[in-house]
Amino acid sequence: MPRIRRAVEKIHKIDEEELIILKKRVDIATAIIIVFIALLIARLWFLQIKKGEEYVKLSENNRIRIQQIQAPRGNILDRFGRVIITNRPYFNLVWTKEDAPNPDEVIKRLAQILNEDISNLLNCIREASGQPRYMPILLKEDIDWKTLVFIENHHFDLPGVRVEAVPSRDYLYGNMASHLIGYLGQISKEELEVLKNSKYQGGDPIGKMGIEKLFEKELRGEKGHRYLEVDVLGFEQKILQHQDPLPGNDLQLTIDIDLQLTAEKAMEGLGGAVVAMEVNTGKLLALASAPPLKLDEFIGGISTKVWQEHLNDPLHPLIDKTTQGQYPPGSTYKIITALAGLGEKIITPQTVFYCNGGLNIYNRRYGCWKTGGHGAISLQRALAESCDVYFYQVGQRVGVDRLAAYAESLGLGQKTGIELEHEKPGLTPTSAWKKKKKNEAWQDGETLSVAIGQGFNLATPLQICRMTAALVNGGKLYKPQIIETIKAPEGSTLDKVQPDLLGTVYGSAQDRNLIIKGLIDAVNTKHGTATSAKMPTITVGGKTGTAQVVRMAKFKSIPQSLLPRQYKDHAWFTCFAPAEKPEIAITVLVEHSGHGGSVAAPIAKQLLEEYFKEKTVEETNQ
Amino acid sequence: MLRFDRRLIQHFDWIILLWLALIATMCLMNLYSAIYPDKPAGTPIYIKQLYYFIMGMGLVLAIISVDYRIFMSWNYPMYGAICLLLLSALIFGKTMSGAQRWINLGFFNLQPSEPAKLMLVITLASYYSRKDTGKGFTLKELGIPIALTLFPFLLILKQPDLGTALMLGFIFVSMTLFVKLKWQTLNILLGVCASLIPIAWKFILKPYQRQRIETFLNPEADPLKSGYHIMQSKIAVGSGLTFGKGYLAGTQGHLDFLPERHTDFAFSIWAEEFGFVGSALFLSIYFFLILWGLNSAVSSRDKFGTLLCIGVVSLIFWQAFINLAMVMGMLPVVGMPLPLFSYGGSSLITTMAGIGILISVRMRRYQVPS
Repeated sequence: MPRIRRAVEKIHKIDEEELIILKKRVDIATAIIIVFIALLIARLWFLQIKKGEEYVKLSENNRIRIQQIQAPRGNILDRFGRVIITNRPYFNLVWTKEDAPNPDEVIKRLAQILNEDISNLLNCIREASGQPRYMPILLKEDIDWKTLVFIENHHFDLPGVRVEAVPSRDYLYGNMASHLIGYLGQISKEELEVLKNSKYQGGDPIGKMGIEKLFEKELRGEKGHRYLEVDVLGFEQKILQHQDPLPGNDLQLTIDIDLQLTAEKAMEGLGGAVVAMEVNTGKLLALASAPPLKLDEFIGGISTKVWQEHLNDPLHPLIDKTTQGQYPPGSTYKIITALAGLGEKIITPQTVFYCNGGLNIYNRRYGCWKTGGHGAISLQRALAESCDVYFYQVGQRVGVDRLAAYAESLGLGQKTGIELEHEKPGLTPTSAWKKKKKNEAWQDGETLSVAIGQGFNLATPLQICRMTAALVNGGKLYKPQIIETIKAPEGSTLDKVQPDLLGTVYGSAQDRNLIIKGLIDAVNTKHGTATSAKMPTITVGGKTGTAQVVRMAKFKSIPQSLLPRQYKDHAWFTCFAPAEKPEIAITVLVEHSGHGGSVAAPIAKQLLEEYFKEKTVEETNQ
Repeated sequence: MLRFDRRLIQHFDWIILLWLALIATMCLMNLYSAIYPDKPAGTPIYIKQLYYFIMGMGLVLAIISVDYRIFMSWNYPMYGAICLLLLSALIFGKTMSGAQRWINLGFFNLQPSEPAKLMLVITLASYYSRKDTGKGFTLKELGIPIALTLFPFLLILKQPDLGTALMLGFIFVSMTLFVKLKWQTLNILLGVCASLIPIAWKFILKPYQRQRIETFLNPEADPLKSGYHIMQSKIAVGSGLTFGKGYLAGTQGHLDFLPERHTDFAFSIWAEEFGFVGSALFLSIYFFLILWGLNSAVSSRDKFGTLLCIGVVSLIFWQAFINLAMVMGMLPVVGMPLPLFSYGGSSLITTMAGIGILISVRMRRYQVPS
């Protein structure tokens, strides 16, 4: 072929030597290439062998989303198994940062859809800034159906946004027993820190107060999970692993819904507490603090403004007055003074003191509430008519320290041990206490104040109720009980709480019966202080009390009804029924309302009516 | 027409053909995995790639059937034709993902920058083989090869296709160093290049290209944007461990975390599914082909043949090295396919044409030019 020949002719005569030099350079090129190959293999080794495990982790993080499934929380039941609190699905809007390519757009659109201020949503995200990118952030709880449908339909326009159906609390009786049961809230950063090694994660509900908090472990159940494989856009490909959640255990309380509701209804508009206890077990049938907490204000976090308002509210709704309210026990304390007097053989049932409306001793006059005086009076009538002078005489002879010993045996001055937070111990003063606390010697006159439940004395309504129960149940001091049983979700009983006997009361059964007689008379005799609690078919025994709020002389002359509320005395009433074979003890405290007999006793009566109505219905059924 | 020489068959390079078949098999296998389990509407890419291999084989046969030395006389017309194609790509070309690279030939979108690489190899081999290289080139003598390189270089840079433009530079530098420079010339050239870097950074590189380089130097700065591709590719390669996740079982690829996984990042899929052992095996097979090409350079009986082989080897080697280094996070992201392994007709056919030249040179090692 001539063309090739022409091309070949163009090539210069081959210089063999030059070609050999060139070929030697090929060796250099080979060496260079081998060095580069070695470099690549070394890199491959570094990535796949040396750092391989790290990249495996990263690749697993890329593709696997762990979705936790909230467990249905245990129900809270009353003593008869009636449901107080259960669950219903809430549709919560959550957002995963990692799955959202441009978050600003999505958040802007969401704010429009939810008709919510964008700064609220951004706050939610900022709150969760510490948690890993793949963890969903709760943006809005309990969205309505319309929003739910809209968001599901616009799924593709809202990358990273998801609606989660979460079982949440359904309060069948609204705010009933709200102080006792408490509420749930989103777990806080601090709580997460404490519970680091548990299965909790940001956005989870956790008990914040009361039973919900204290029995969190029982109620919460075991979360389930789904391991999802997702693609680069976060769309689910398949479920790799699935585990159903285990529902939490049910808590059966000792509370009786009917009694609780009666108590709360009776206390409407008032501040105070109602405690009803089964005398032979220490089980609480009602535990109401008025006014109740409004749970809807707490769910999802209470605002500072509302919180401030509650703090300034004269009715103090934030305090659980049954266990945290400390008041001078007033004349209910006379039960102790009487028991001490009898027990220490200071008095007999026949001992008579003379009341002329006051007692002149220690250079001053200690008045009786009945300025006209009770005349010659013995124990039974002194209790029924609550004669102060009689108990001044007894107390003065017994002395403060012996009084305190009896008070403590009846459970005052110490926490009752109820499984609720922030319980207050009250105060039972002794001379040693005063020396230590105030570095002052005990004044004899102070013993007289203590003997009628004033002075340094402080007690909670729960303590007074338990004291009443111990008086009538044979002298047994029980730990107040709120949990009846813990039940597995399928209904079997996991734990039945047994009454916990903490101690016995000083003094003999005979002495206690004498006092009981006096208390029965207080309700059932003409001059008794608590006749407003009298019932036609059931014999009730009880003791009224008035806790002095101010002791200034200038108020003494003004009738209680004319005083401004905050200067009015607290009204006590504590009672038991039926007197022959006591079952229930009820204690009512109404803050700043005047005398126990007129305000507190009628409330207790309403509860008694409710309690015994229940009883008669049951009996007729049988 | 062709005077048939029995020795041509005797000296046919069966090894390179076998190796080509081996790499083609791995390539198709890998492409099948890259799109698995998607069922695209049209012809799947591994079938298309198979067609390109067949077309490439046709081209190999055409190239080996003529004496390579004929390219010495064809080089300038070829050079002119390719430059015209590059110009027309710039003027009439199809824009795809921001660059004007393709000319629609009806059945095939031709990327003229691919054959331009091979064309430069032939042009430079032809130029250098004509010049005396005993004492090394002076700067003055380098004027023509520099100009010959610079013209297509600028046309390709204008598209813009930094990767291919860089390849022309690498081919020029490799071949020129191979034929030897005077020390003085080398020093001057190095000085000029060093001073050109800041100017290139400022005026030639596009913002996205600058971003890529910055990201490469500091990948943690923005892992979700520019660093994303490199990070995902490193994760794919690294998570393969010793034996890999198994064929069709790579998660990075099949869940779309790996970008461009059938083209530039094809090796990541392989490394994820076959691990260190499979990857090292792959690299051994692949680089054996390149070293075998150097062996062809040694076997040649004339300077032109040697230089052609050196050019083709540098063409394949630099692309392969840059691609693999990029995929493993050692170099910034530049658009650079892995020859014979990444999906793409123009690159594959060009590479196969280069291999055709290697075969042709080796076949004719006993043919003394008359």
